[in-house]
Amino acid sequence: MSDQKRRNFQIEAFKHRVVVDPQYADKTWKILEHAIHEIYNHNASGLSFEELYRNAYNMVLHKFGEKLYSGLVLTMTTHLKEISKSVEAAHGGSFLEELNRKWADHNKALQMIRDILMYMDRTFVPSTHKTPVHDLGLNLWRDNVIHSSNIQTRLLNTILELILRERTGEVINRGLMRNIIEMLMDLGSTVYQEDFEKPFLEVSADFYRLESQQYIECCDCGDYLKKAERRLNEEIERVTHYLDAKSESKITNVVEKEMIANHMQRLVHMENSGLVNMLLDDKYEDLGRMYNLFRRVPNGLSTIRDVMTSHVRDTGKQLVTDPERVKDPVEFVQRLLDEKDKYDMIISLAFSNDKTFQNALNSSFEYFINLNARSPEFISLFVDDKLRKGLKDFSEEDVETVLDKVMMLFRYLQEKDVFEKYYKQHLAKRLLSGKTLSDEAERSLVVKLKTECGYQFTCKLEGMFTDMKTSQDTMQGFYASQGAEIGDGPALVVQVLTTGSWPTQPSPPCNLPNELSTLCEMFRSYYLGTHTGRRLSWQTNMGTADIKATFGKGQKHELNVSTYQMCVLMLFNNADRLTYKEIEQATEIPATDLKRCLQSLACVKGKNVLRKEPMSKDIGDNDAFLFHEKFTSKFYKVKIGTVVAQKESEPEKQETRQRVEEDRKPQIEAAIVRIMKSRKVLDHNNIITEVTKQLQSRFLPNPVEIKKRIESLIERDFLERDNADRKSYRYLA
Amino acid sequence: MKDRIRFNVGGKIFETTSTTLANAGRDTFFGAMFDDDWNLYSNYSGEYFIDRNPNCFGVLLDLLRTGELCIPPNVSEKLLYREAQFYGLTDHVRAAKWGPIDGNRLSLSRSIAGRAPGDGTAIRGGPDGGCCVAHGCMVHVYDWILDEHPPITLDYQIVNDVGWIDPENIVVSACERLGRGDGGMGLFNAENGELRHKFQISHENQIKSFTAGALSFSSSDSHIFSSCKGRSNEYGIGVWDSVTGKQIDFFYEPIGWSLGDADKLQWLNGSSCLLVATLFPRKDNCYISLLDLRVKRMVWSWSDIGAPVTVDGRRVRDAIAMEENGSICVVNEYEDLGFMDLRGSVGGGVRWSSRSRSRLMKGKMPDYEPCYPKLALHNGQLFSSMNDCISVFCGPDWMLTSRFRRSDGGSICDFSIGGDRLFALHSEENVFDVWETPPSQITL
Repeated sequence: MSDQKRRNFQIEAFKHRVVVDPQYADKTWKILEHAIHEIYNHNASGLSFEELYRNAYNMVLHKFGEKLYSGLVLTMTTHLKEISKSVEAAHGGSFLEELNRKWADHNKALQMIRDILMYMDRTFVPSTHKTPVHDLGLNLWRDNVIHSSNIQTRLLNTILELILRERTGEVINRGLMRNIIEMLMDLGSTVYQEDFEKPFLEVSADFYRLESQQYIECCDCGDYLKKAERRLNEEIERVTHYLDAKSESKITNVVEKEMIANHMQRLVHMENSGLVNMLLDDKYEDLGRMYNLFRRVPNGLSTIRDVMTSHVRDTGKQLVTDPERVKDPVEFVQRLLDEKDKYDMIISLAFSNDKTFQNALNSSFEYFINLNARSPEFISLFVDDKLRKGLKDFSEEDVETVLDKVMMLFRYLQEKDVFEKYYKQHLAKRLLSGKTLSDEAERSLVVKLKTECGYQFTCKLEGMFTDMKTSQDTMQGFYASQGAEIGDGPALVVQVLTTGSWPTQPSPPCNLPNELSTLCEMFRSYYLGTHTGRRLSWQTNMGTADIKATFGKGQKHELNVSTYQMCVLMLFNNADRLTYKEIEQATEIPATDLKRCLQSLACVKGKNVLRKEPMSKDIGDNDAFLFHEKFTSKFYKVKIGTVVAQKESEPEKQETRQRVEEDRKPQIEAAIVRIMKSRKVLDHNNIITEVTKQLQSRFLPNPVEIKKRIESLIERDFLERDNADRKSYRYLA
Repeated sequence: MKDRIRFNVGGKIFETTSTTLANAGRDTFFGAMFDDDWNLYSNYSGEYFIDRNPNCFGVLLDLLRTGELCIPPNVSEKLLYREAQFYGLTDHVRAAKWGPIDGNRLSLSRSIAGRAPGDGTAIRGGPDGGCCVAHGCMVHVYDWILDEHPPITLDYQIVNDVGWIDPENIVVSACERLGRGDGGMGLFNAENGELRHKFQISHENQIKSFTAGALSFSSSDSHIFSSCKGRSNEYGIGVWDSVTGKQIDFFYEPIGWSLGDADKLQWLNGSSCLLVATLFPRKDNCYISLLDLRVKRMVWSWSDIGAPVTVDGRRVRDAIAMEENGSICVVNEYEDLGFMDLRGSVGGGVRWSSRSRSRLMKGKMPDYEPCYPKLALHNGQLFSSMNDCISVFCGPDWMLTSRFRRSDGGSICDFSIGGDRLFALHSEENVFDVWETPPSQITL
């Protein structure tokens, strides 16, 4: 065989050729594409869902999923481009409406398309990591409509314009706004934020910056705050009506920053209407508004608080240092209470009982009350006044409230022991003169002091009450056993006071008239007979007496006088004219007291039962006193007071001061010993702080004084200086 | 009647009600026939034609009516599943076929013959009821109807472990081949076996090839963990993000400890820690540790270094952390369970629970090659495989409550629970069993 005849045999593999319609995919896609067109053209009613679903299923099944998907993207994009054009063509006000309508259409169409292509969405899309149909539809809408160059800025401007119009009072179509904003939210949070929220916040910031500038120039503080509050509420309302709830905090932040935070100082210090004026005029509503608005911005409340504090401190300082005010202690304390009431009202009505404000107020009061060293005395005097007469017409509860208020002031005091000193003096006077109005009120106050400062603080006060009670019993006992012997002579009432419990000053007893001194002797022997081991000494400087006097024309009066005055007057039973010297010799009353008591008997108009020669205010050693026969008074009972300032005189003050200081010494020492006993070794500074802390509830110890006490304790071998560290002390057991 | 609807399916007429159809749910063929308020669209009045198999339609309609799946003999199961997929009713069919897994109510559903005999490496149940089987350098993937998909290989390297990220994605870890830079770890499409992504490791900004061992995943922050061995002693645990595929961390093995050779990784959701267990015989000693990757610290560790060797040579062969109990369960080659306290930072001794079975078993080894026991935990039930059976332990004291086995196939070399199915891979003939819990009967 020749070479050319040799044929190459090729054996073909047996193939079963399946002839398929090469255009199957295209045809099927055409059907689906047509359907999508029809859906967008609102002609969906003529379509068969089953047929379309099956076609889409078949395309995926026969591996044309990719073609189906890309076809969908293309077709939808074309439609959206058309939509975009028609939206662009819409004029003026119809722009948003057109966009909204088209958006609704698109959503409806998208739902239908998704139903048709459900099989692709369930199988092809997840296994190829493509975007599901619904999300794809939103993304395409975003890219082709919302982000098309002619729509994006126009949409934003239209929305912002509408919001601006609403801000200036026009009514806009909120439903439409809500739909459009919801569309942006549906397209994803980034679309909402980038395409709307961010520019919206910027524009709002500009708007409110400008507006707040205008307002602040022409409005007073109260009006400005009203306007700011209204704006804030408007924005919150806007968010609930047509914005994303997450925007609320952002837009309110903008308003807060522009309208409040930026003008905070100016508002607070605004002349004639700022915070100080609101406080002065008790403008609860304005203050409440300011509180609620300022609370929203950083440092807002602290600004209010600082201004309020400095204002309270200033006015308080003026009040306590005003020399006019100091003249009337009752008025002084009443002023303090009024001030406190005023601010309590403000805090409860306007500042929603904010704890930080209450604390600021308390610290302010503490600050200025202690500026005046006489505050403890004045507060005690105020109580004295109230308990003597002030509470006459008050119900029990009212008394309690007054006492509670006093306690509140008391809490502010640093030198509580000074108050205690005065209170004791005043209480003693009240008890001895029987002037106290209500035993209940007295005791209630003592209980309050006890709960505030502890048992130690009030045990002496309680002792005074006990003495009063036992004295009554003693007197009953005395008259029961001795009554027969006494007969019709003058009646004697003795208060037996325990030494130490009472603020007594040792003073030599004066010479009592004979009628009395025998009676006193009888009492002394009775008392010492019933109580052994006791010593009685008469405190004639503290007693009172009621004497009956008959004057020239036979008019009778009952004179209410002190024991000293009684002694003086009794002398005139036997003489009509006595010189100062004679009186002094006869009574042995200390010179200062005698002068005072003569002054009150002879120099007070209307109560001058004696006449003095010469007629002058001051008492001289050579003056003579005469019985004033022509004395008249409208009243049967005449109370002759002692000329003594209710307040303490300067030397008395010094004395009280000194006694307070003296009393403090053992307390400081006790505190030091207590501390060192537990600590064994401690350095100087720490002792000072610890001692101060321990004694704070009673008074504020002076570091210099503490140092002196330490030195004294070292001298007495309670402590020693540490050999290694000279600044430390060691406790010696 | 407005409620009634008439179908013509492939020539056969069916009538049903819209309430029955509504049982299908929104995301189905039938769901698309309803408007937003679950009213039928008006254009479905009259007869509605569907070009599908009428027999299958009947079965599926009954499924919607009763919630139960009854497949008559004349209907092919496979076809039925295809039809279910068309209508979007796959989930309904699955739910009707088997219920939530309960170790005490398991029944054997299928046994699938494998492709190659010999040791299998791993079997993993997928989230939707499918599974993948690794042996040698291949991974075979089966879907929920146990149809096989194209197999997966990673450069034909020895596969060490496999795992499902989601029903569509599988991660494979494999040995590296010297000097070629292949092997390592890859993400595959479960459907078609295509390689989607290859995970990389860089040490000191240089990409290095590596051998990937055991795998674990955290679903909450979608991290992938793998034990890794690099050529220049870069041993440790690698961490990748399963979304981006990028490496995000590497925990280097401390000196005197073993992480890179780990047999088992387990992510603990509650404490956000990773259990790493390297066990005998891969190493001479057992190392179990908990890593807190946020603070880059080993927060708990236990090792049997220095522990006295017992006569019967009990060694820990598998370990599993049980977060609810605050303990780790371990198992030895006699299927004795042991427990360790997870609280504190160092594991004390193992408390072995004495069980009579291991004593009985001792001496008479089965006539086929034994496999080491494995542990799994599911819904408070502890599963342990030994030879050719799987035991189930329940209750606070982990009492044995069930044991199931299939007579042939040799011992079980691995088993896994996923998609409410239990898959057991046998060492001989490479056959695997599928166990299911029948759906609970509707009681009237």
